[in-house]
Amino acid sequence: MSQFRYAFPKTKEEILNILEQEKSEACIVAGCSNVLPYIKDKIIPPKLLLDISGIEELNYIQKNETNLCIGATTTISDLINSKIIREECNLLHQAAEEFADPTVRNRATIGGNLADASPAADMAPPLLVLDALVEVESREGKREIFLKDFFIGPRKTVLHDDEMIISIKFKNDPINRQGCFIKLGLRQAMAISVVTIAMILKIEKNKVKDIRIAMGSIAPIPLRLFKTEEFLKNKEVNDDLIEGAKNKIYDEVNPISDIRASQEYRKYVSGVLFKRAFKKLTN
Amino acid sequence: MEKIPIRFTINGQKKEVSVKPNDLLINLIRDDLYLTGTKYGCGIGECGACTVFLNNKPVLSCLTLASAVDGKEITTIEGLDKENELHPMQIAFLKNAAVQCGFCTPGMILTAIALLKENPMPTETEIREYMRGNLCRCTGYVQIIKAIKSCAEGGLNESI
Repeated sequence: MSQFRYAFPKTKEEILNILEQEKSEACIVAGCSNVLPYIKDKIIPPKLLLDISGIEELNYIQKNETNLCIGATTTISDLINSKIIREECNLLHQAAEEFADPTVRNRATIGGNLADASPAADMAPPLLVLDALVEVESREGKREIFLKDFFIGPRKTVLHDDEMIISIKFKNDPINRQGCFIKLGLRQAMAISVVTIAMILKIEKNKVKDIRIAMGSIAPIPLRLFKTEEFLKNKEVNDDLIEGAKNKIYDEVNPISDIRASQEYRKYVSGVLFKRAFKKLTN
Repeated sequence: MEKIPIRFTINGQKKEVSVKPNDLLINLIRDDLYLTGTKYGCGIGECGACTVFLNNKPVLSCLTLASAVDGKEITTIEGLDKENELHPMQIAFLKNAAVQCGFCTPGMILTAIALLKENPMPTETEIREYMRGNLCRCTGYVQIIKAIKSCAEGGLNESI
């Protein structure tokens, strides 16, 4: 394997100092489950691997009256084992259970999955519908970015070279409990997503009171489908509405063809997954 | 390349070694410590053959840097037996003919033990779900699942 340097600081301040000096030479890692295969395949050049997994203060799941906050190095296994995640935002729990396998989940982190910015990142659609904020920090200070504005292309984010993700937070809202996540892969386990969907839905008097939809692997970035949401809001729930929404989705998604699926297939199943998720949440 | 000194415990033994920044845990285990029970399969985290316990949790040693295990505790397949007695999961694999070529076996056994520690009496679906990342190219899954079930029914009293 290519040569690189490695640093394992014990405090956040040390990390921020190194980031300020090294800038794009530093690559933040925690579980390494994406970065090591990238280095092996020469997708990213060898750099300084800055291991943040030793920073205890970044590993937590906290709930207060207004917010739910997840530290950047919280592993996918930590999410699965969290009563807060299971009860307050079960769709994120469902996505964690679909994520790779237990050995990878023990190392992979929520911050790493977002920073990697794969269009297929399984943590992204549920966090998009939860209206999550990404809290980032550098020596200059902290800032918060809505997750919907965080991704700008495949493996590209708005993160500056000297910034790191500190936490992900979202409102602790009862509507978060009315969500679901569905993943379509080439097989049931260890599969990279062909298409994923996360949905939160609230129906009152047979009308769509609130709906939030996000999908993965159907565009260069994990996407919130705002136009489809607007189309559905305040409409009466019936089969025509679902068919109409599917057509909106076909317009809104913009998938590519790759080794896992063709563009046409992805477009088609994005409508199918929408229908499945909608039916699941209305039954 | 500058070497990094690390200290860790493996199978109950304390070690102090120096590793290169790009050394993988699997290379440290196999090439430096000669514990060749841990297998190198795909090298990209798809097959589970290189599974070891890191602080009592199963992880893939092909996706873990050696330098990242400083201060931690590792258990490999060689660390399971107690006073020359095989671990109950190893016995269950033997009794149920859950070993064909044997390449996936060390990883399978470690992941299976991790499963029973979390969930002492799993259903068949739960076993299949948990073992999803451990591949057997001989496709001997039926016997492997039988072995894990029988081990659960016999009770996994060992703590490793």
